[in-house]
Amino acid sequence: MNTTRLIATAMAAALLTTSALAQDKVLRFATWDSDESLAIQESIARMFEAANPGVTVQVEAYGDGYDEKLTAAMGAGDPPDVMYMWNFPAYAASLMPMEDLIARDAAEMDLADISPALMNISTIDGHTYGMPAGFTTQVVFYNKDMFAAAGIAEPQAGWTWDDLRAAAAQFRDAATNTYGFAVDAKPDPFDFEQFYWSNGTQFISDDGTTVDGYMNSAAGAEVLDMFADMIKTEEAVALNIGDDTSGSTLFKAGRIAMFQSAMWSMTGIQSSGINFGVVVLPNFGDQPAQSAIGASAMSIAKDAAEPELAWEFVKFFSSPEAVAMRTGDLPIRMSVAAAKGLTEDPIFQPFFTMLDQTTVHTAAFLQNENWGRIQENLSTAIEATMIDQGNAQAHLDEAVARSARFLN
Amino acid sequence: MRKTALYGALIFLSALFVAPFVWTLITALKSQSDLVAFPPVMWPETWHWENFAEAWGKQPFNTFLKNSTIVVVLSTIGQLFSSSLVAFGFARFRFWGRDPLFILLLATMMIPWDVKMIPLYMEFNALGWINTLKPLIVPAWFGEAFFIFLLRQYIMTIPMEIDEAARMDGANSWQIYWRIHLPLMAPALVLVGTFHFMNAWNDYLGPLIFLNDQSTYTLPLGLALFKGLHETDVTSIAAVTIILCLPPLVLFFLAQRYIMDSALGSSVKG
Amino acid sequence: MTLADQPLSSLGQSRRRRSIAPFLFISPWILGFVFFTLGPLLFSLTMSFYDWPVVGQRDFVGLNNYTTMLSQDPQFWESLAITAKFAAIFVPFNIGLAFLLAVLLNAKVIGSGFFRTIFYLPSVISGVALVMIWTWIYASNFGLLNYFLGLVGVQGPNWLGDPNWSIYAIIFASLWGLGGTMLILLAGLQSIPKELYEAARVSGVPAWAQVWHITLPMLSPMLLFTTITSIISAFQQLTIALLLTKGGPLGSTYFFAMYIYDNAFKYHDMGYAAAMSWVMFVIVLVLSAIVMRSSSAFVYYEGEVKAQAGGNDA
Repeated sequence: MNTTRLIATAMAAALLTTSALAQDKVLRFATWDSDESLAIQESIARMFEAANPGVTVQVEAYGDGYDEKLTAAMGAGDPPDVMYMWNFPAYAASLMPMEDLIARDAAEMDLADISPALMNISTIDGHTYGMPAGFTTQVVFYNKDMFAAAGIAEPQAGWTWDDLRAAAAQFRDAATNTYGFAVDAKPDPFDFEQFYWSNGTQFISDDGTTVDGYMNSAAGAEVLDMFADMIKTEEAVALNIGDDTSGSTLFKAGRIAMFQSAMWSMTGIQSSGINFGVVVLPNFGDQPAQSAIGASAMSIAKDAAEPELAWEFVKFFSSPEAVAMRTGDLPIRMSVAAAKGLTEDPIFQPFFTMLDQTTVHTAAFLQNENWGRIQENLSTAIEATMIDQGNAQAHLDEAVARSARFLN
Repeated sequence: MRKTALYGALIFLSALFVAPFVWTLITALKSQSDLVAFPPVMWPETWHWENFAEAWGKQPFNTFLKNSTIVVVLSTIGQLFSSSLVAFGFARFRFWGRDPLFILLLATMMIPWDVKMIPLYMEFNALGWINTLKPLIVPAWFGEAFFIFLLRQYIMTIPMEIDEAARMDGANSWQIYWRIHLPLMAPALVLVGTFHFMNAWNDYLGPLIFLNDQSTYTLPLGLALFKGLHETDVTSIAAVTIILCLPPLVLFFLAQRYIMDSALGSSVKG
Repeated sequence: MTLADQPLSSLGQSRRRRSIAPFLFISPWILGFVFFTLGPLLFSLTMSFYDWPVVGQRDFVGLNNYTTMLSQDPQFWESLAITAKFAAIFVPFNIGLAFLLAVLLNAKVIGSGFFRTIFYLPSVISGVALVMIWTWIYASNFGLLNYFLGLVGVQGPNWLGDPNWSIYAIIFASLWGLGGTMLILLAGLQSIPKELYEAARVSGVPAWAQVWHITLPMLSPMLLFTTITSIISAFQQLTIALLLTKGGPLGSTYFFAMYIYDNAFKYHDMGYAAAMSWVMFVIVLVLSAIVMRSSSAFVYYEGEVKAQAGGNDA
């Protein structure tokens, strides 16, 4: 009997100490970032607290489990007040449209400083559900020492995939397991669509109803076949076919000379001590290469307890001082980028070139509510082409056929 | 000759089971340059023992350790008590509705958590338990089907004559449970304790779904913070994984002898 | 107050008292079921009749989720077939190997505690670290497995990258966690009275016959337990495949539970996920019922409560 009571008391005590103490106003902010990027966001949150006495920002970091956590919390009607967001179509019904607030505070926010391409990714049916806080475009990293040792000229802006393949072929060395380039057999379709755009096509029609003739267009199949052929001719190593050694690991170990990636690889590559350069994505023929634009956008829950406070916080995150603090991605404000010298720096400048030369595209996932399921078939087609080392058209046609039932 | 074969088999199998653990340990001790080396470095030249302290310091792991300890200790006690009680009820009584209830109990093991998660979240939210450790502790006090089933099977291997003899001596059902069956169940209770301890210690989804801020996080959530969307801190994951393995391993090593010294196997006449 | 304060169900008690005793013993589980399981269960059943996105408009669609699944969704059948294949191989191997290990460890060996701990070791390592470990073992170029195969002159396949091999790679990785099953069987072996073996030895019964006539029948309650729980865990197999292959290559390890997971977390179609869960629930329940039913033929309970025996009959 005593034991039981003791346990009950211990339990009660333990539970009491863990419950949060009451504060004047607590703003919940959920993020998927970890490590340094998370630390930066925490310091931005502390700055916001300093500027707004009586407000506590509770930073909730879920890392890799972000999507699961958000699904549960959203589904149960208990989302955080402010959150990082990428899947706007899935959550739009529970997010607060911001276009009126943006219009109201336009002068203060200096929107001309932010590229319209960055606003486009969080807009559905004319409603804006997120403010960007940082972004990245896609580029090619290359190993300067390897190029010098092989006596090959470094890639230049305006280069083509043929140039890349010609260079890559010269790095192949079976003895040291060295390749010129790496092709991801299971790319994120969101990033992969840039190659469709670059080759003059897209995944889905502008009205979001048709994939036949788009996803499986000749231009699309050409893209897939080209990458498959690079694997076949050993110009590139295939990533993610049973081996999850990442492209960045191979690049940092000097096993690939060129590596297509984005800002998320930058810190790792810089700290690896590799002598590297950065160049824009190659063109298909003479059409300027297009880039997928990945942004960390901030959204507000529709039922946030303090919508005005939440909005202040979101605005603060896209303010010049907060944007200047971020190092894991690129500044959404051109004034900050210029002030930091990034637009002149040869390492960072290609990212901005990619942003400039990318004409505004709407990503497929914003255009069809069933895109998640359709995309699964597309992923399989890409993977099948890479394993097959060809036959893109047949695999894409099958993907289109299997997607038909999601398009009505 | 026979013994040699037995030890040979055991040592070979042990190597198979222990190799990955050793690999994790080696990974934890690698320098950053060893880590990205390709082909992989099998035996680093310098061992970076400081990686352990560094990884532990990168997140508030002391807080996570405190939370994990509270959850594991309190829920294990509850699990042992409730599951053995319920198992005894199912194993030693005949009552109206017993078999359908037992099928129902088994059935609860078969529901995927994906669909339970949202309604459970709503319930805990209504109770005000979200962002506390309660959702991770309280349900254990109501027993879990897997453990009840395990203990019930174990009790049913114990001869009925033991109960009858005790009853002749005037013992009631509670006394039979508490004084006779709990000690006899010791090997199975050690199992339940071990399994529940491991489940609670390593549980990732429960804490992820029901906890919000770092002050309430448990160790697996802290460990997961090393895995970002694009980049993973492999050394830290390996180091903290090794640290997290140690308490359950030591406990298990101490507890496993009780699985062997079964009171039943040696003293009870069949 | 504890139960010890009131004598329960002893022979001299009143009928009413006695009939309530078993319910007092199982009351924790009944309460837990009502509080934490019944609600979610009914909720998910309701969801399965709706087009239920995580947020936004929910529409009643009747049996639509079920009919779509059965008649229009090839993925449903493909993932079900993969899961069935996995279960058909995993369950017998899991129990068979765990049984062998348990018998090995049940012999009097020096350092048996050490060996037991080693075999349980993999069950202690969880989550993210598992990915690193298994990709290291299975890597086609520098993997441990293919290195050893190379020593005996076999060119190993790309385990996780070849659609024909990936499922076996997942099965093998899952079997690595058989330490728990082994311990359960070991505990069962330990509870077999030694006198039975001594008596058999005296009568000259050979070792294999002792296994057949003593070990297996006496262990049968635990074998039943491990069979049913292995079936359940085989059908719920998710974590290892999710971490190692994400269902690939080419969907060759895309398990049923992963399809449920994707419906819930990727497509946010909770109604469809719930309907699939109920289908899985019924399949596993039927399989378990068959095993349970047939168990009376081969499971021997030393302490079974038989109607005639009286016991704690209420």
